[in-house]
Amino acid sequence: MKTILAFRESEYAWVHEKFPCVHPLLLPLCNKPFIEFLIDFAILAGSSAVRILCDGGLGEVERYCEDGSRWGIDLSYASIHPDDSIHAMLGKNRKFCGEERVMIVSGFSFIRYDKRYDYKSFVSSMPPGEWSTCPGGRITLTGVPTKAVPDWLIADLSLMPLDSMTSYYQASMETLKTGESRYVLPGYGDEPECAFGRNVVISKSVEIRKPVSIGNNVQLLGNAIIGPSAIIGSNVIIDRESSVESSIVFDNTYIGEHLEIIGRIASGNRLNDPKSGASIAMEDPHLLSGIKKNRHLRSLPRKIVHACVALVIIAAFFIPFIILWPLLKLGGHWKSSPASFLAERTDETMPLAKVEVDASGAAAAIAVALSLDRYFRLFRVVTGQLALIGSTPLLAGESRPDAPAYVPAYLPGVFSYAEAEEWAATGGDATIVERFHLAHSNPLTDIGLVIKAFINRFQEKSTI
Amino acid sequence: MNNSNITLTLPAERLFARVARQTASSVADLVIGDDRHEPAGRDFSHAFELAVSEAFTNSVTHARESATPQVVKLTFFFEQRQLVVSVHDANDPFTIETPVPDIESYPENGFGLLIIRKVMDHVTYRREGNYNIISMSKTL
Amino acid sequence: MNITETSNGAIAIVAIEGRLDALSAPELRNNRSVIDPEKTVVLNLEKLDFMNSTGLGAIVGALNQKLQPDFGIVLSCMNDDVRSVFEITNVQKLFHIFDDTAAAVEFATTRQGAHT
Repeated sequence: MKTILAFRESEYAWVHEKFPCVHPLLLPLCNKPFIEFLIDFAILAGSSAVRILCDGGLGEVERYCEDGSRWGIDLSYASIHPDDSIHAMLGKNRKFCGEERVMIVSGFSFIRYDKRYDYKSFVSSMPPGEWSTCPGGRITLTGVPTKAVPDWLIADLSLMPLDSMTSYYQASMETLKTGESRYVLPGYGDEPECAFGRNVVISKSVEIRKPVSIGNNVQLLGNAIIGPSAIIGSNVIIDRESSVESSIVFDNTYIGEHLEIIGRIASGNRLNDPKSGASIAMEDPHLLSGIKKNRHLRSLPRKIVHACVALVIIAAFFIPFIILWPLLKLGGHWKSSPASFLAERTDETMPLAKVEVDASGAAAAIAVALSLDRYFRLFRVVTGQLALIGSTPLLAGESRPDAPAYVPAYLPGVFSYAEAEEWAATGGDATIVERFHLAHSNPLTDIGLVIKAFINRFQEKSTI
Repeated sequence: MNNSNITLTLPAERLFARVARQTASSVADLVIGDDRHEPAGRDFSHAFELAVSEAFTNSVTHARESATPQVVKLTFFFEQRQLVVSVHDANDPFTIETPVPDIESYPENGFGLLIIRKVMDHVTYRREGNYNIISMSKTL
Repeated sequence: MNITETSNGAIAIVAIEGRLDALSAPELRNNRSVIDPEKTVVLNLEKLDFMNSTGLGAIVGALNQKLQPDFGIVLSCMNDDVRSVFEITNVQKLFHIFDDTAAAVEFATTRQGAHT
């Protein structure tokens, strides 16, 4: 038996609009990408091979699902036209289908199935034709049945269209409630209705109210209340005194202090109301108004401390720099190119040199380990253009999900907070760490974090 | 090949695009190691090969407008799980921020830089003296 | 690159083998069936190992020659690397793509029959 999963861009256009950071087929339902539910179902129905068809791009889906070996099936991909009928799809994939029975699941809809049923026997005994439909979705079978239907066999299922944020929210909450008994869901937990990913740090005073599903690399800080009915993605920080109830928090989201998220979908800096479909930019009280209000009061001492520490570093590393820099420059190991980076103020850019040091040879290794590639940037701290430690400076003109336009706080620094923590210094999770520290650090902790960042870079570079 | 540089200087002629491409493919296979038979490894290798092919073809296409014999220099470098290639040429300056071709008009060109931007993780362009340098990197 | 041409009724089946890049693209662009505006061509890409944007441009160019942009050029049997180039650029939207050459020929024949 083989399965074809077919989608059209027009069916999921709303996901692109509401959640631009995620490919619609990877839209998480209870922390599991949508397409995985369908793959699971295809396997339950006895498929050895699954092909995903779409009239739009599948690049991210392919990078995520690869060739299906993770599930022990053959997974392949192909293109269709928006107006292709089921007959046309079968023709375009004739080699894939072969002589076998084929189940075609078409449309962007969620299948309510139950892993305890014997769909395999059911599918092999069903007559060809339509199995189940819903507006915009259907399951069709081709080929002749190989078995007779046993009378006792029950294998119910129904389809639910995912045509708006409302139905997506419904499907997510339903999946959370029916939980492990019907679907294969990610996470571990000793209790039912309570699934946790890897590396979840929960402060003592946090209250967890079932059902909840929590992803990987999540920090829940003091007095936070999670649940009931909370789905929290990966790389998420829920700050002190905040509560998340009947809500979905997407991956890479930072929920600031004293926030109440009830019946909402939080994604990046957007807070969506699944009932009305309205979405607003999250006015995070701590990050946005806090930083803005205190900018003049707080930024001056912070800038002075940063500038003083930068001066100390400049002085301390002057001798190694003045020896190594000309040496590397002459040897062609020190490559510097100008680039335009986003400045602290929105809509402004600043030129900064991008330095690449080929770490071949002792001199280069020492220079890199001592972070001399950042030496020139230290002067920008003295002039107040850069923080000593802050966000990773972002290249201007690159469109990316963690760009300052989408996140509430950005303060480019010579070192980044992510480098101070042992988190990967790139990607969405690093952005979360940076935002957390932007909200919580003060000039003194900054000094400590600079030292940590420096040591981390030193260890990283000197162990290669 | 941690921390070693591979530099290849080729005449700016279409004929040599294959040398550039095959070198890119070999370098990618070298850094991928045993993973080259895995889907992710194969994709990495193909993406890298494709990007180098596009960049070289781009250099050659624009080199033909100039009268003097020209060369294209490729430098491969691998560091911290990042495979970097720089493509140097002496053509007129250009921009890598080209618009995405409109499919409805059945375009026959303008895809090269789009492909490079899509398959590589980071792409930068800079002008050094009379040289264009496109630097592209992809992380394993 | 190697081009082999066979025919099935009024449909020309052009099989491309090897690499389709700046060096070999002109050969495809100058192929007699490809430049004939009325000829429906099934391009069999089963043995195409590598294609870059110049090769892609030549395939779109072939379609631009045709009176029938919907089925003037039908594609079959492309491998994953080649398919990724179509997908990155969104050019897949311009073509009907089959995983089986015989099915592609049937489709082209039916469409042509319906049209004439």
